[in-house]
Amino acid sequence: MRVSFEVNGHEVTADNVWPGESLLYVLRERLGLPGSKNACEQGECGSCTVYLDGVTVCSCLVAAGQAQGRAVRTVEGLAESGDLAERRLSPVQEAFVEAGAVQCGFCTPGLLVQTDDLIERTVGQGGGVPDEAEIREHLAGNLCRCTGYEKIIDAVRLAAERTAAQRDGGGPA
Amino acid sequence: MDFLSPSTWEEALAAKSAHPDAVPIMGGTDVMVELNFGRRRPPALLDLTRIPQLRDHGPDDGYLRLGAGVPYTTIIERLRDRSPALAQAARAVASPQIRNRGSVGGNLGGASPAGDAHPPLLAVDALVELASVRGVRRVAAREFYHGPRRTARRDDELISAVLLPEPAGPQSFSKIGTRNAMVIAVASFSLALDAQARTVGTGIGSAGPTPLRAIEAEKFLASEFDWDGAASPSPATVTRFGELVASAARPIDDVRGSAHYRRHALSVMARRAVSWAVTDYRKEIARCA
Amino acid sequence: MSGLLENTSTRAIGADIGRVDGPAKVTGTATYAFEHQLNAPAYLHPIQATVVRGRVREFDTRDAEAVPGVLTVLTHDNAARLADIGDAELAVLQSDEVAHRGQVIGAVLAETPEAARQAVRLVRVHYEERSHDVRFSAARTDLYTPGEAEDDEQGDLAGAMASAPVTVDHTYTTPMEHNNPMEPHSTIAVWEDAGLTLYESTQGVHSVRSTMAELFGLDPERVRVIAPHVGGGFGSKGPLHPPVVLAALAARLLPGRPVKLALTRQQMFDLVGYRSPTIQRVRLAAEPDGRLTGIGIDVTAQTARFKEFLEQAGKPTEVMYAAPNRRITHRLAALDVAPPTWMRAPGECPGMFGPEVAMDELAVACGVDPVELRVRNEPGTEPASGRPFSSRNLVACLREGARRFGWQDRDPEPRRRMEDGWLVGTGVAASTYPTGQMPGSVAAVRFEDGHYHVRIGAADIGTGAWTVLTQIAADALGVPVTAVRLRIGDSSLPSASLAGGSTGTVSWGSTIVAAAQAFRERHGTAPADGAEARAGLPDNPNRERYAMHAFGAQFAEVRVHADTGEVRVPRLLGVFAAGRIVNPRTARSQFIGGMTMGLSMALHEDSVVDPRFGCVVNHDLAEYHIAANADVVDLQAHWIDEADPYVNPLGAKGIGEIGIVGTAAAIVNAAYHATGVRVRELPMTLEHFLA
Repeated sequence: MRVSFEVNGHEVTADNVWPGESLLYVLRERLGLPGSKNACEQGECGSCTVYLDGVTVCSCLVAAGQAQGRAVRTVEGLAESGDLAERRLSPVQEAFVEAGAVQCGFCTPGLLVQTDDLIERTVGQGGGVPDEAEIREHLAGNLCRCTGYEKIIDAVRLAAERTAAQRDGGGPA
Repeated sequence: MDFLSPSTWEEALAAKSAHPDAVPIMGGTDVMVELNFGRRRPPALLDLTRIPQLRDHGPDDGYLRLGAGVPYTTIIERLRDRSPALAQAARAVASPQIRNRGSVGGNLGGASPAGDAHPPLLAVDALVELASVRGVRRVAAREFYHGPRRTARRDDELISAVLLPEPAGPQSFSKIGTRNAMVIAVASFSLALDAQARTVGTGIGSAGPTPLRAIEAEKFLASEFDWDGAASPSPATVTRFGELVASAARPIDDVRGSAHYRRHALSVMARRAVSWAVTDYRKEIARCA
Repeated sequence: MSGLLENTSTRAIGADIGRVDGPAKVTGTATYAFEHQLNAPAYLHPIQATVVRGRVREFDTRDAEAVPGVLTVLTHDNAARLADIGDAELAVLQSDEVAHRGQVIGAVLAETPEAARQAVRLVRVHYEERSHDVRFSAARTDLYTPGEAEDDEQGDLAGAMASAPVTVDHTYTTPMEHNNPMEPHSTIAVWEDAGLTLYESTQGVHSVRSTMAELFGLDPERVRVIAPHVGGGFGSKGPLHPPVVLAALAARLLPGRPVKLALTRQQMFDLVGYRSPTIQRVRLAAEPDGRLTGIGIDVTAQTARFKEFLEQAGKPTEVMYAAPNRRITHRLAALDVAPPTWMRAPGECPGMFGPEVAMDELAVACGVDPVELRVRNEPGTEPASGRPFSSRNLVACLREGARRFGWQDRDPEPRRRMEDGWLVGTGVAASTYPTGQMPGSVAAVRFEDGHYHVRIGAADIGTGAWTVLTQIAADALGVPVTAVRLRIGDSSLPSASLAGGSTGTVSWGSTIVAAAQAFRERHGTAPADGAEARAGLPDNPNRERYAMHAFGAQFAEVRVHADTGEVRVPRLLGVFAAGRIVNPRTARSQFIGGMTMGLSMALHEDSVVDPRFGCVVNHDLAEYHIAANADVVDLQAHWIDEADPYVNPLGAKGIGEIGIVGTAAAIVNAAYHATGVRVRELPMTLEHFLA
C-alpha cells in the first residue's frame, strides 16, 4: 500500500508498504530518517518516540497506515530549520549535550522528543519548570542503559529553565 | 494482509461483518507488539482511529459513556471525578506514550488478565457496549470475561463504548509491581462502594486466567460496613475482607511473582482499600452534613 | 613512567568538556551500524533451533521460498565453508548439529524484513532430538575445574575456620543476566571485489576484522569494519557472536548487495551471550575484633558444553582483604546452553556480591561497624601475589563516602527505622576493578590544514572515547582541543585494541601519547603540512612490579515496605579512587551508569530459563526488567584525587566497569539493616521480605 503523511514539515510518500509495518520502520528504512531508534518493538523502551499529530507515541506501535494524512515530528525535526549541518540545536538538544545526558546515544532521540513534549506542556503553556517527580513521571517510559538517568533529569531541568527564561525575558537565554 | 481504514462507524461495522477475522487496531499497543514479534499475521487490520465517536465521552442516561478509543491520557486529565477508580488505573498504565494511544476498548479487546482497566470495570459494574451490523447490545463487564483472552464479544462485533455508573461512593485502584514504573502488575485490586444501594464491588487483576471479582468479600463488606457513620471496621473485619479477596484469586507462579505472593499482595491491597474507603466515605458524609 | 604529560601544562585532561559526538547524537545524525544508507539492501532473518540438542535432519523450505521477495534460504547445506579457528560458537552453519536452543541453524534473505521473517516461519525443520540438560546447580557431580583457573590456596582455610572465634559460611547466588545494550546487535555486510565490508555494532573494529578474515580465509586488508557510533555494548559486543558471521555468509551469496541484519530484542537473549549465573560459597574466619584469619570463595558457574567461558568470580578475593589463609576455587557446569560472555565487570561484578555481603554478616557477628571492618582488613600488599599496589585508596573511599553519606549517625541495630510504613536501612560495600592494558594499538598523527589529525581504530560504545581521546591528544601535542581532529571506529585506521576490561582509554590514550611524542621528536613544534608520525603502545615494565587496581566504596539507603515487601532505593552514593580523571563529565556518567546497572542487578535482572525447553522465558524488555528512571532517586558519584605514577603515562585507571561492582551488595546489606532479613540471592524481590 501507499502511505503519505507529513514528516518534520515535509510531505512524504512511501510505496509498497506492508500493512502490518510500523511507522518506525517506514521512517527508518523507507524515508531515510534513522534518528528514531528501534530497540524493543513493544513500547517498553521509548527509543522510537515521535510526535504524531502533536502527541508523543511509540512509533513502533503505530501501524504505517494509521499515519496516513497525519503529521509526524521526529528528532530530526527538533532543531531549527535550515541545512542540517548548520541547524541551531533546540534548547532541549543543547541541554542534553551540556549536562552530559548523552552516552551511547541510542535512547537519546526518544528522550529528546518526550522532553520536548514535557517542556511544551509545562513551560510552553505558561506554566512553571516541572519538578523532579513530574520529569521522572513524564520520562517513565524511556529506558536508558548507560547514564543512570541522573544527568538526563538535570538536562530536562536545564532545558526547561532556559525555555522559561527565554519566554519571560524575551530573548535567548 | 489488508489494511481497512473506515472513516465512519457504519463503515467499520460493515467491514467487520465482511471480514470477521480482521483485527481491530486502535492505539496499537497490543496488536502491533504481536505483529512486530511475528506472533500473529491476521488477514486484515481494521483501523479504528479515524472514527470520531470512538473518542467521544459524555453522560448517557445515568452513566458516563466512554468511547472505546478514548485514550488513557484523556481519562486521567478530564474524567477523574466521573470515573475515579478507572482514572487511577489509567495512571498506572505503562508510560505517557502508551497512555496517549492505549484505550479501555483496546484493553477489553485484548482481554489480557493483566490489563489495568479491568478491575475498575468489574468493581463499578460497568457495561460494555458491543455493536455489529446486526445491532447494539450491552453486556455487564462482570459477564464479559470468559477465559484467557476470550470474551463475550462475537467475531462480527466491535466494542463501541463502556458505560460507567455515576460514582456513588468511594472508589480506588491499586497495583503492585516489581519496578517503580513501566511495570506489568504482579497483582492489582479495585474497590467501589455504592452508598445508595449499599453494595460493594471488587475487581482483581493479574491473579487468575481472567480478571476476577471477589464476590464473597463483596457480600461480607457490604454487611459489615457502617453505611451510616463510616465507623472504622474492626481489625478482624478488615483482615477477613483481605482474606476473602485473596481467596477469590486464582493465581499462578510466573516470572513476575509467585501465587503465594499474589495472594498476600491482594490481601494487603484489599485492607488498604478499605481504609481509604472509610476515609473517603467520612469526607462525603461531612460534605452532606 | 614519567610521562610527557608531566612536563606540559595540562589543559585538556581533567577539563569538563562536553561530548565531541554530542551534537550528532542529539540531532539523530550519528550513524549506527544498521543506519548506513546503502543502495538496495536485502534483509536477513535467522532461523533458530527449536530443540535444545540434536541435529537437523531436514529442512523443508518450499513454502518459504514461495514467499514473494525471498531471495534465498541459507542453511548448512549451502553456506560457505569457514576455517576452523577453534571457536565453536563462530562455526556458523558448518554442520547440522544443534548445541543449544535458539542456535542459528539457517536464515532467510529477502527483499524486505517482513518477507524474511514470514518465510522463516514457513521453514519446516525436522530434527533428530537428543536429551538435554540445562540445570545449573552446585550439586552436580560433573562439575570440572577449568584450565585457566587452578585452585588458589594459601595456608589452611579449613583449619582457620575450625579454630576461629567468629566465622561466616554461607552460599550466595547471582542469576543469569543479559547485557541488553539499547542498540540491538546489528550488521550490514557487503561482499564486493572479493573483499568484505562490515558496518558493525562492535566494541572493536580490528578484532572483528582479524577474526572474520581468519574465518573466511581473507587477507585482513580485504576486510573493512566500520563503527563510528555504537549504541552500548557492556561486553556483549566485545567478542564476536554468530550474527556477524551469518550476515557475511549471506552477503557472500549476494555479491555487491548490502545484507542487513538487526537482531530483535528477543534474539539477543539467545545469540549474543550473557552473564553466567554463579553460586558462591564464601567462608570468612575472624578474630572477635573482625580481623580476618581466613577468607575463601568457591565459585560455581555455567558454560556451554561446546565452548568454554569462565566467569572468574573468585578474582576479587585475591585482591581485597588481608588474611593469612585463603582459598579460591572455580568449578564449571557444562550445559546445553549458549555460551556466556563478558558482561560489565565480568568476574568482579558477581564476585563482589557474595564476599561483600559476607563481610556485612561478619560485621554483624563481631559487632563491628562495616566500614571499620573493611579498614581493619586492609592489606599492605596484594594478598594473593604479594606485589605492592601501584596505588590503593579503598580506605580513603570508605572514609570519604561515610562522611558524605552521613554514616556516623547510623544505629547498627537492624529493623529500627520505620517511616510511613517503610522500613529504612543503610548499607555499604566495597568496589574494585583491575587496571589493565591491552597490547596491540597503534596511533598516527598527521599535521594538515592547520590541524592535527589523530587516527586510531578505537571504538566509542558510549563511554566517551571520541571526547577523552581528543583531550589526551591535545595535551600530548600541547595544542588546544580545537586543533585536534580525531578519527576512530574504522579498521582502515591504525590498529586498536577493543573496548573491554576498562582498558580502552588507557590503552588508546597511552598509544596516542606515544605517537604525539614521536611526532614532536621528528617534526618539532612547527611541523610542515603533511608531517606524520605513528607509534605503538609502549611496554610498561611497572606492570610486572605492581598490582594495579581501582577501588571504591558504595553506600545505599533502602526502603522495604513492611506490608508488601516492595523495595525502593532512594539513595546511592559511590566514592572511587581511579587515578587521574580525564573528563569529569564523561567519568561521572560512567560511574553513575555502572551504579544504576548495579541497582538494576540488585532488584530486577534475572533471565529465567525453563529447563524443559532450554530457553529464557522472559526474553523481552517487558519481562526482563532493567532499572527505569523512577527506580533511581538520589544517585551520586564522587572520586578522590589519586596520583598513580606507575599505571600508564596518563596516570589514569579504567572506570567503565567499577561502578557496577559492589552496588548490589551495598543494597542487600542496606535491606538487611532495614528489615533484619538477610538476602543471599539476587535479584532481591518483594517476596524475600514476606514473613
